[in-house]
Amino acid sequence: METHAEPATGPTAISCHGVTKTYGVGNAAVQALRGVDLAVRTGELLMLVGPSGCGKTTLISVLAGLLHRDAGECTVLAHDYEKMDGPETTRFRKENIGFVFQSFDLIPALTAAENAAIPLLIGGAKRRPALDKTRTILKTVGFDERMMNSLPADLSGGQQQRVAIARSLVHNPKLIVCDEPTSALDSQSGRMVMELMREFARGQDRVLVVVTHDDRILEFADRIAWMEDGRIAKVENGPVRAKVPATQS
Amino acid sequence: MILIALKMLLGDRTKYVGLLFGITFTSFLVTFAASYFGGMMTRSFALIADNPGTDVWVMDPAVVAIDRPINLPTSALSRVRSVEGVRSAVPLAVAQADARFPNGHFQSFQVIGVDDATLTGVPLMKAGATADVLRASGAVIVDGGGTSGKMETPSLVSDQWPSGQPHLDVPTRPLIVGDELLIDDTRVQVAGESMALPRFPPRPLLFTTYSTAERILLPERRRLTFVLATAAPDVDARALAARIEKATHLRARSSADFKEDTVRWMIVNSEDVGDAVTMLSIAMLVGFGVTGVMMFMFTSDNLKYYAVLSAMGASTRLLLTMILAQAALCALIGTGLGLGLCAVAGRLFTMYDFPYRMMWFAPTVGGAAVVLVSVGAAAFSMRPVLKMQPASFLTGR
Ligand SMILES: Nc1ncnc2c1ncn2[C@@H]1O[C@H](COP(=O)(O)OP(=O)(O)OP(=O)(O)O)[C@@H](O)[C@H]1O
Ligand SMILES: [Mg+2]
Repeated sequence: METHAEPATGPTAISCHGVTKTYGVGNAAVQALRGVDLAVRTGELLMLVGPSGCGKTTLISVLAGLLHRDAGECTVLAHDYEKMDGPETTRFRKENIGFVFQSFDLIPALTAAENAAIPLLIGGAKRRPALDKTRTILKTVGFDERMMNSLPADLSGGQQQRVAIARSLVHNPKLIVCDEPTSALDSQSGRMVMELMREFARGQDRVLVVVTHDDRILEFADRIAWMEDGRIAKVENGPVRAKVPATQS
Repeated sequence: MILIALKMLLGDRTKYVGLLFGITFTSFLVTFAASYFGGMMTRSFALIADNPGTDVWVMDPAVVAIDRPINLPTSALSRVRSVEGVRSAVPLAVAQADARFPNGHFQSFQVIGVDDATLTGVPLMKAGATADVLRASGAVIVDGGGTSGKMETPSLVSDQWPSGQPHLDVPTRPLIVGDELLIDDTRVQVAGESMALPRFPPRPLLFTTYSTAERILLPERRRLTFVLATAAPDVDARALAARIEKATHLRARSSADFKEDTVRWMIVNSEDVGDAVTMLSIAMLVGFGVTGVMMFMFTSDNLKYYAVLSAMGASTRLLLTMILAQAALCALIGTGLGLGLCAVAGRLFTMYDFPYRMMWFAPTVGGAAVVLVSVGAAAFSMRPVLKMQPASFLTGR
């Protein structure tokens, strides 16, 4: 099946061919990725959709350098993780990648602002400027001072998710991977968050890969990749671009 | 990020309190054990410490500790006196004797017979009395020696020296000046009470003159236990001891060396010390266990967040620094609390006359043990952090 999508905007940021990944061994082995081919251009917001268990989280983990692939080719921002050692990969993630995890994974003991500031702090920023910068971003996702100083436990699911999103953006990464970023948001805040991401993706050399089940936000996608059983089944242009299928299957 | 690490630690109240408790408990136990040990050791050489004026102790060559005396021939005294550099030398008799109280009760005493002329070796006395009270015939000075309630005599005169059977259950009061005791059926009279350093093991003491000691103790060919020598001006105690050894073929030790010998002997041979050490090691293991498990649980529970941090680019080194900072904070506060607690307990302990002496090594050992445990436990709990693949914690499985 030909799944290569039409080039979107800038030069290629992510390019994968025949990527496979198997969890476990023997009888317990689960083949999560069965040969993924995917190309994403800079300035692009790609949405990854598909049934539960089809390998979406696994794929973005490979793209983000959190998980080793078993076989295939994959370059991300001109880097191949398999050619880098652990510390190099970690440094690469620190400088280039923002995350929104499926469960938001905020640290319970830290305030919303501190949680969102973590990528800056890991990057070695001083506490005060880091928190100031974080506050600006949290404001754009609708946080007031009081909410910024609340602990995750005192925030609603949607608010926590917005903190996680602010955390993924705060250090201006080139690639952001999001696992279900709007699952806990009502449609209004979902739109707000997606507009923010859309805005972000427009910036120079930025790439967003967003996993979602949420039909309401598909309209923000440049392209939509449909996943099925460990493969990309088809890729089509999103509503943002002309509603013309990029490729024929 | 260190601040973040500490916030993570403080944010988890239950575990933080558990961790502090474990560390406080451990540092308390270790310090207390060491101080208790210090106290016991100090008391084990109390007889030496009670004689600060003595420079050199001379004894049978087979004596290894103050508690294991072997008597000398009387001639030893004059032999020591004739050694050059000895300013003075006096005899000291140390023996064990059972004293009979007026109600018929027996109590074992350590009898210390001091030089008749100089009365060297009698500690400070209560009520401003002086050792001169021993000059009366049959006079003795009694001392609890770290015990309590062992020197009780009947309150009522009618209960004293009853004819017929002993009156063991009659009401009693502590000995006072003028009370009488029988030692080997020889009557002695309490002439005063001294404030000797408490002994380890504790035992009541009975000071008397050398000649009285010879009279009341069972006859033995050799009564002399130690010769206490002082050095002439400008003569070093250790050098003098060596000279005495050479001239007399007896064993001679400076006070400081003899204390050390005694401590070493106690550590190796005393069952009490062994028991105490065993008990306290068990208690310490418990403290170590609590601390270790708590630290481990804390890191394990936070593994997911360390994975998140790692995903976001925190290096292994940064994660380790964070965990060590957490361990260090706990260790610091815990040690402080433990030492404070130890000081309070020590006060109570000494108030009730138990052996307790916080010497320099006690807090040092306590602190070192705590740091060791905290860092060890942290290091152990860090292993999964080092091994983890950040993704494996993120897929929710
Ligand atoms: N750590 C793991 N160990 C073993 N199997 C795993 C692991 N992670 C995922 N899998 C399996 O791999 C397959 C793909 O999982 P993945 O999490 O990528 O799916 P997904 O598309 O993200 O699903 P969902 O929409 O439910 O989040 C599933 O069958 C899952 O059971
Ligand atoms: Mg998933």
